[in-house]
Amino acid sequence: MNTNPNIFTRILSWFDPRGKTLGTYGFMLNRITALGLTLYLFLHLIVLGTLAQGPDAYDNFLKLIENPILKFGELLVVAAVFLHGLNGIRIGLNSFGIAVPRQREFFIGVVVLSLIAIAFFGWRMYFA
Amino acid sequence: MINTPSVPKPGESTTLWLIKLLTGPILLVVALIHMAVNHYIGSIGGLLSHAEVVAYYQSWYIPVMEAIFLTTVIAHALIGVRGIILDLKPAPALLRILDWIFVVVGVGFVIYGMWLLAAVAALG
Repeated sequence: MNTNPNIFTRILSWFDPRGKTLGTYGFMLNRITALGLTLYLFLHLIVLGTLAQGPDAYDNFLKLIENPILKFGELLVVAAVFLHGLNGIRIGLNSFGIAVPRQREFFIGVVVLSLIAIAFFGWRMYFA
Repeated sequence: MINTPSVPKPGESTTLWLIKLLTGPILLVVALIHMAVNHYIGSIGGLLSHAEVVAYYQSWYIPVMEAIFLTTVIAHALIGVRGIILDLKPAPALLRILDWIFVVVGVGFVIYGMWLLAAVAALG
């Protein structure tokens, strides 16, 4: 890593919402959800190893994730999937020169659609 | 927002950038199917027991779909994390070490995931 003393400040600035433009929010959102989803992905794969250990191991694990705190963690994963996925589609289209002048509207649409999906899944997880 | 198309960043090859970009839409579709079936659709709101998961994996196309999901999600995630690290401008020597770590972790988890898929399918 280079010796730039500001490196940690730069990382921390990703999490600081003050004085940012909408484009920077989009960038922050993609970075933070990417790191969260990557961490979840590898933990998920490791935990799924209980499937190979037999019914007792896996079914006991399923009982554990009925815990409301872990359920909230699952809702965060759902939120990250929608925000990262839809924002990623916006960035992908933009990379091929599609809808470049309409990025602002596209980003607002991504956030609105994601919030609707998160609300639906949250309701489904806690109240249905 | 800056109204210019995004491009590969310094240190990121066009091939890796394209893989990250093109696996994105595939992942969004497969991830939504994966989440919906595993957590919401199954018999009572998802696949809620070991027996239900094993039964689900008996159709040949489910392990195939999950294998595609596994490979694309690991490639997309590790190329993405490498892109984030590139923003921090690591020294070339450190980047070479990190690249090897990403390859080993990626290949290792793909092999482990394929083994797990085969093991679960074989339980039926």
